[in-house]
Amino acid sequence: MTTLLMVDDVSKSFPGVKALDGVRLELRRGEVHVLLGENGAGKSTLMKILSGVYRPDSGTVFFKGAPITFRDATESLRAGIGIIYQELNLIPHLTVAQNIFIGKEPVRMGFTIDGAKMNRDASEILKRLNADVKPTALVKNLPVSKQQMVEVAKALSYDSDVLIMDEPTSALTASEIEELFKVIRSLRGQGVGIIYISHRLEEIREIADRVTIFRDGQYVSTDAYQDLTLDEIVKRMVGREMENKFPRKKHVPTERVILEVRGLRRRGEAEQASFTLRAGEILGVAGLMGAGRTELARMIFGADRKAGGEILVDGRPVSVSSPLDAIQAGIGYLSEDRKTFGLALNMRLSENITMAYLDEVSTRSGRILKRLEKEATQRFVKSLDIRTPSVSQVVKNLSGGNQQKVVIAKWLFRSARVLIFDEPTRGIDVGAKYAIYELMDGLAAKGAGIIMISSELPEILGMSDRIMVMSQGRIATVMDVAGATQEKILHYAAGLS
Amino acid sequence: MANHPAAAAANDESAAVLNADLLQKFAALAGLVALLIVFSLIARNFCTVDNFINICRQTTTIALAGIGVTFVIITGGIDLSIGSVLAMSGVVAGMLVKNWGWNVYASFLVGMLAGVFIGFLNGGMVNFLRLPPFIATLGTMMIARGLALLVTNARSIPGLPETFGDIGNAAAGTTYRIDARGIEVVAFPGIPYAVILMVVLAAAFHYILSCTKLGRYIYAVGSNEEATRLSGINVVKVKFSAYMICGGFAALAGIVTMSRLVTVQPTAGVAFEMDAIASAVIGGTSLMGGMGSISGTIIGAFIIGVLRNGLNMFGVQGFVQQILIGLVIILAVSVDQLRNRKKT
Repeated sequence: MTTLLMVDDVSKSFPGVKALDGVRLELRRGEVHVLLGENGAGKSTLMKILSGVYRPDSGTVFFKGAPITFRDATESLRAGIGIIYQELNLIPHLTVAQNIFIGKEPVRMGFTIDGAKMNRDASEILKRLNADVKPTALVKNLPVSKQQMVEVAKALSYDSDVLIMDEPTSALTASEIEELFKVIRSLRGQGVGIIYISHRLEEIREIADRVTIFRDGQYVSTDAYQDLTLDEIVKRMVGREMENKFPRKKHVPTERVILEVRGLRRRGEAEQASFTLRAGEILGVAGLMGAGRTELARMIFGADRKAGGEILVDGRPVSVSSPLDAIQAGIGYLSEDRKTFGLALNMRLSENITMAYLDEVSTRSGRILKRLEKEATQRFVKSLDIRTPSVSQVVKNLSGGNQQKVVIAKWLFRSARVLIFDEPTRGIDVGAKYAIYELMDGLAAKGAGIIMISSELPEILGMSDRIMVMSQGRIATVMDVAGATQEKILHYAAGLS
Repeated sequence: MANHPAAAAANDESAAVLNADLLQKFAALAGLVALLIVFSLIARNFCTVDNFINICRQTTTIALAGIGVTFVIITGGIDLSIGSVLAMSGVVAGMLVKNWGWNVYASFLVGMLAGVFIGFLNGGMVNFLRLPPFIATLGTMMIARGLALLVTNARSIPGLPETFGDIGNAAAGTTYRIDARGIEVVAFPGIPYAVILMVVLAAAFHYILSCTKLGRYIYAVGSNEEATRLSGINVVKVKFSAYMICGGFAALAGIVTMSRLVTVQPTAGVAFEMDAIASAVIGGTSLMGGMGSISGTIIGAFIIGVLRNGLNMFGVQGFVQQILIGLVIILAVSVDQLRNRKKT
């Protein structure tokens, strides 16, 4: 197999941090090369060098044997290096074909866009991907998985030899992931070299040919995937032994019901949801995307209106019609999308932590006691081990795991006793995941009731005491973790029973 | 993991961001000082007590409206109705005094309330009709202006009592001395009431914005409205507050303007909102919301005020002044953008 891309001893520094320190990577034609590393390992920096956003301080990148000197992303695209970022970069109001050919529209007579040709060419590329997408469909009307296909098509429209995918599955359901993998395998068969970046170790076994691991900006190893074990990979990524992915459970569920939901119903839906959560318990909520897990959580939290049903906290009915009602009843909600729903990114760490309970650090007349606020938030930085230079750090500058801890701190500061974690470890690296698990365990041990919505079954099985499976907007079953298996959960999640 | 590189990077970045923030404010302040020095050197009458007091007086109305609009802009909104509210509130106060013989201060108060009411309407449209602030306030801009012109028949209201002009013209601490010829002359013209009012309000609203819950929520709404709502904060109330504060300040600027003329002009303040928005923006308030300060806005207002005064003195005609102020706005915001780009 011929070498497509060769990263040779590349270093890149930013003020105060060496983002890449002599890293190597070799991508061959027709292979899927998985690049692994925790946040801060230097994966994104390398991607930005390959796409021409950054120039390396030293070292060279060879593309088909010649050193690259891209000045911007367009040049790297034209040369044949396509990149699909984690956040999709499509224009929602344009059609699929318009998106694929943006910036290189086929023209007639030098100035009018040849729409027919564009649609033809687009459908050809989409056919190559086996993607069931109409070139004339508006992108905003497509589900995320199809949008991702459009991104792939867009990258391929440059006749790319190299395709770089950054966490492409983070928004996809299991079946959509399978579809994407089919596309990846078929591209591999066509001789495209693919660099695949992911946090989800479970899924890479489906496609990985070789694996390169970075840690703290340094190259660790490259191996054929079959020569590695999962434990070995994790060890190399984290730089230490990780015997268990989940902490040994310290918490013991009590018999006291802390939250009871009776007949909760969404507007326009007939399905009613009823379940109980006990103090000191972690209730895992599994299900496919679109099963209504987040919708249920948002209703309990008062973020969305409910059409009917009752919520009882500590046996007392509470009327929840806004987040404030839920918060005052002791419920906290950590959204799956913390950047949109959880954090004010441009504000300080301390300001984010106190946001839901400013009364605690202000006078009756509304003056904020800033020293008190600082002291209170410093306590959380310490107890949750939030890595930050100070509490006045702007949250935007923290890593994903630390941002998640800030949201947790917000609800702990409010003394929430019922915590709803929606995909608590999404986009968080392995080491930080463990810390979040420990935190959840510790909270339950102190008597909190935790609802954990997760799409990662090992996480559900590893952390929960009971598992609630949702399917098509209703609760399919609630089972004890003892005796639960991935197969059993998937069985209910798929709507079989 | 003690020396986590991400943490180190964050550490470094934060220092850079803090410095950049300081730099932005410092840049605006340094610009102001530079203007003062340049004008002092080239225009002979610029650097005098009389002229400085004059500058303060001229800047006061921009600064007042600027304080109000800073609140709205930090929430991520905008208020285009300021100039019209300025006229409308003046008309309300003037008519109450002239046609109904109201007490001057009572009529000022009602004029202010009229401005707050327009702010209430703006807030209501933004909150409940989900109108973009630009559209909602574009509507009230036309409505308020139309009302002011309608009830006055587009004619000014002259012949108001002397007390009507106090707040815009009178000053505190005026001292006199006897000159060589034995005639009493003004030694120190005194600080105009309007300027004192502006300084006191600027201090008070700086305090509200930086030290109170309301202030914190204003920033939070502008930074991430949905996250703020999900933190149990009444976002509707916060937005109402911002628009009502803005309306109140616009009305106050109107009252000071009309009082200065001792005449109510229903045509006054056309495009005045642009001065107010410009002062906020020059002072580092981001139109994207979530960022800004009263001190920055006051500096911004003074940059506009000093520029106008100095250029006048230097004999630069009004049209050229407009061009220069336009350039200053572009320059100030470019600095802001460059700063943001460096961060990413």
